[in-house]
Amino acid sequence: MNNRLSRRQSLKLLAAAITAGLLPSLPVAAGPAAANPANNGMLQKKFGKAGKALPAIGMGTWRTFNVGSDPKLLDARTQVVKAFFEHGGGLIDSSPMYGSAPDVMGYALQKLGLPDSLFAAEKVWSPAGGSAREQVADLKQRWQLEHFNLMQVHNLTDWREHLAALRQMKADGKIGHIGITTSHGRRHKDLEQIMASEDIDFIQLTYNITHRAVEQRLLPLAQEKGIAVIANRPYDGGSLIKGLQRRNQPLPEWAAEECGSSNWADFLLKFIVSHPAITCAIPATSQVAHMQENMAAGSGVMPSASARQRMQRYIEAL
Amino acid sequence: MSDGSAYQLQQFIPFSRDVYFRLLERIGESFWPLHVLTLLLGVLVLLLALRHKVRAGSILLAPLWAWVGYAFFIRHYAELNWAGNYIGYAFIAEAVMLLLIALSGKGLAKTAPDNRPAVIVGLILALTGLVGWPFIGLLSGDSWYQAEVFGIFADPTAIATLGLLLIMLRGWLLWLSAIIPLLWLVISSLTWWVLLNS
Repeated sequence: MNNRLSRRQSLKLLAAAITAGLLPSLPVAAGPAAANPANNGMLQKKFGKAGKALPAIGMGTWRTFNVGSDPKLLDARTQVVKAFFEHGGGLIDSSPMYGSAPDVMGYALQKLGLPDSLFAAEKVWSPAGGSAREQVADLKQRWQLEHFNLMQVHNLTDWREHLAALRQMKADGKIGHIGITTSHGRRHKDLEQIMASEDIDFIQLTYNITHRAVEQRLLPLAQEKGIAVIANRPYDGGSLIKGLQRRNQPLPEWAAEECGSSNWADFLLKFIVSHPAITCAIPATSQVAHMQENMAAGSGVMPSASARQRMQRYIEAL
Repeated sequence: MSDGSAYQLQQFIPFSRDVYFRLLERIGESFWPLHVLTLLLGVLVLLLALRHKVRAGSILLAPLWAWVGYAFFIRHYAELNWAGNYIGYAFIAEAVMLLLIALSGKGLAKTAPDNRPAVIVGLILALTGLVGWPFIGLLSGDSWYQAEVFGIFADPTAIATLGLLLIMLRGWLLWLSAIIPLLWLVISSLTWWVLLNS
């Protein structure tokens, strides 16, 4: 993120804020969310017909967990995973596109043991080669897992073929849930059509305080269809939070009271997970301290609908 | 650059700057003191090229490309990037091409190097890859085994090879054999651009 939002971005944000202001409020307290002291107070968000719940803060692995076979970095990433679970984490998302990230996750889980709360999410991706079944089998070996809770079609690549195969694997009990992903705001029309016409459990898309286009159609549709939503790029690839920190932008005084936030990570993540349609946000980090900050955002006071609008306005004004 | 095109580029660079630095460091540690041998071989190829013993120079250069393709890309870089194997195979293909040129004699310079611009540029590039590149690391505080050296690391190998090709080859085979080194340097430049801007 540039230090200042461009005029075009500001206008887009302003338009989105006005639109959001016209929508009926969706109070979080009335939504499918609840803080659970048994999970370090981590907000648990329900999804699916069976009423299962997921911790609102998950973790991504893009770039941060692709460390190859470097013993020093493997152990460092294991500590990050350890901190994730110690703070009540559940969903970990990876992809065959992320280099060695699935192997690194396998290493970390072998070192730490398999936590009950683990919700392992992977993807099938055509350029990785092989059929969906072959890719799932390969990923199980790399994670050293028997079962994936969620298998997604990465970036809609060959989604018809892959989704059909994944649906069959789900019916056979080989995987828990199926989904489809996109990022960077791409192919939203295609995603909308898939959500409307296909029986899927999860979607994954980019949603953060400066990229809110999905609020217009995709998030309401997800709620209507009962599809769980994973929000990727919560810090816009890191540029959002780094930009705020680089300019020493202080948190607004009301952030502590209205959002329970004492730092920008908390502020930005709470904005995402307090949306009623969002099941889980997946920030990625290679640092234990940052993981602790991320996980803290899943507990405590959550912003109300009016506080969310205030958060938007504050960021737009920067 | 738009979000979309930046994403397209980042798809090929799924690692962070720190991890890439660590990879380079580990490759250096793994192969030390092979650096000394590959660097001496590079200097020898340059001397052979300048003395118009271009067939011998091309034969010596070929295994170094195969080695970098295997040791740098397939064995190490591919751990981080799914495209690494393909780049490794491209480096091995370059080695085969250099060997075929040497064995067939086609494309080899018929006359001794003179002061033509191509030869002068070639000499500058060869010296940059052989001497200048490792010194960048040394001047920034790296140890010898951390320095990026010709015949171990891809960037100095590609830069020096472009120079050597300009001295040793002529005609369309010069351009054909320059494609893979040039492509790698474009990929490497874009990689650094993404890593330094993310």
